Amino acid sequence: QTTQSAPATSIASRELRLLIFDNRLDKQRQRLNNMSSNKSGHPASKKKESILALDKMIDGKIRVKCLGGRELKGTLRGFDELVNLVLDDCEEFLRDPNDPNSITDNTRKLGLVVCRGTQVSLISPEDGMEEIANPFLGDDE
Amino acid sequence: TTTHPLLAQHRWKNYQGVMASTGRVLPLELIDKAIGSKVWILMKGQTEIVGTLQGFDDYVNLVLADAIEYTTVDGEIIRKDLNAEILLNGNHVAVLVPGGNGPEDSMAVAAS
Repeated sequence: QTTQSAPATSIASRELRLLIFDNRLDKQRQRLNNMSSNKSGHPASKKKESILALDKMIDGKIRVKCLGGRELKGTLRGFDELVNLVLDDCEEFLRDPNDPNSITDNTRKLGLVVCRGTQVSLISPEDGMEEIANPFLGDDE
Repeated sequence: TTTHPLLAQHRWKNYQGVMASTGRVLPLELIDKAIGSKVWILMKGQTEIVGTLQGFDDYVNLVLADAIEYTTVDGEIIRKDLNAEILLNGNHVAVLVPGGNGPEDSMAVAAS
């Protein structure tokens, strides 16, 4: 399903951009509603908005990459503004004992977990990723 | 599908008429529910800790009783019974498993 014209873009980042765009549309609609109903803007009580709408991924399967190289997958049951996550039926991807930077498809079951937002580096939908041939190899000639 | 007991408690609270706009669980609430029971902590590197959760703070620094430290070196798991109540710095805490028994638990045996 990857198109030839955009080899370096993975499906995951496309889906994330759609989610971010969706979120921005929602915010614009909110602002328009506020303007039309003549509400005075309350800058003092403004809540910090996340750029990623995790509530759209609730009960969906996601893949989380952590800072130290750990990778998890599970069902998103909850989150907060600091991106702490609650994952159900969580599995951790195991790494090659000789090479801690490699990642295999073998997993171990963890169950219901809390993933710390301070350690999260990437969140993507579980089936939003596909491995493609290295697009940079042809440039060596 | 069976629901984890800690999740089931939360859902029951919602059904009892507590105003909740979503059925979602707050992560820090789940940690709070785990106070008093065993937790399995996965740190940023290859270290894991199992202990009974006595409490935590906003930074998820943890107080654990009867702590056991597991380190993985070259595929080998080294177990160290600290047999003490420890204050674990939340800086490198990556994953918390409430009710988890640690890497030696049969549930955590690698499943493909």
